Amino acid sequence: MVIDSWKSQIKRGTLEFCILLMISKRPCYGYEIMNKLDTWPVLSAKESTIYPLLRRLLKDGFLSSSWQETAEGLPPRKYYTITDKGREYLAAMSQEWENLLTAVKGIEEE
Amino acid sequence: MEKVLESYLEKVSKYLKRIPVSERADIVKEIESGMCELQNNGKTSAEIIERLGDPKNLAKAYLGDLLEAGTGFNWNRFLALCAFYSVAGFSGMIIIPSLAIIAPVFIVCGVLTPVMAFVKMADYILGLGIPYMENIQIVFNGIEELNPVLGFVFAAAVGILLYMAGKGAWKLLLLYCKKTSRIKDKLLL
Repeated sequence: MVIDSWKSQIKRGTLEFCILLMISKRPCYGYEIMNKLDTWPVLSAKESTIYPLLRRLLKDGFLSSSWQETAEGLPPRKYYTITDKGREYLAAMSQEWENLLTAVKGIEEE
Repeated sequence: MEKVLESYLEKVSKYLKRIPVSERADIVKEIESGMCELQNNGKTSAEIIERLGDPKNLAKAYLGDLLEAGTGFNWNRFLALCAFYSVAGFSGMIIIPSLAIIAPVFIVCGVLTPVMAFVKMADYILGLGIPYMENIQIVFNGIEELNPVLGFVFAAAVGILLYMAGKGAWKLLLLYCKKTSRIKDKLLL
């Protein structure tokens, strides 16, 4: 369906914004992020999207990571924390996001 | 961990062979951790594998544009590697030993010069009569020996310059090594 291809295009850039936003509130691990995103079908994404995206954000220095033991007897979890550089990037993204919303609204109300 | 899941992880690891070992291990460990979370939430192995999809595709998602560049032998890459090693080899042969000698020698001289001039000055002012002091001379214009006090000021200035030059050479050496290894990493990936 055409709408699906459009949705996946929209999602590509938005996911990066949402993940950074989520991690900026508190450190998160991959599975937790996926679960949270699943709350909203429009944002729902699988391992093959989330893990490589996290790795790219890590490589670009927007995130840092550390392995932490769990209390529940599960294997260690890889927690991601936002860096100062990540916060700057997020602030710039938020600004652009606002610009985008304003633009869409502006056109709708014309 | 069940066999099917283990073999799935092995397959992912195999497709990621172009990624350095430590990074690859980290990636696989994270996927494994996610599998265990799913299992803990009551998902069966079959469901987990269905959710993760083809191991090749999962690996591809990590490689991204790396794979598009082609996995096989590539003349451009080969030539780039040859060029890199030629340049790095030749420049390294000159730059590394030069800097490695300059840096410590300049730093040591930078410290010794003012210290010796200071001893000479102390000997001159306090009349200590330390032996061999006539061997420490700050000679100006090749003929005229400077007064020991003035000599010390001059030696201190020279000492600072030498020390800074030594430090600079050391930093350059580190920078050279870092840059070279970064370029190499980029070429090999």
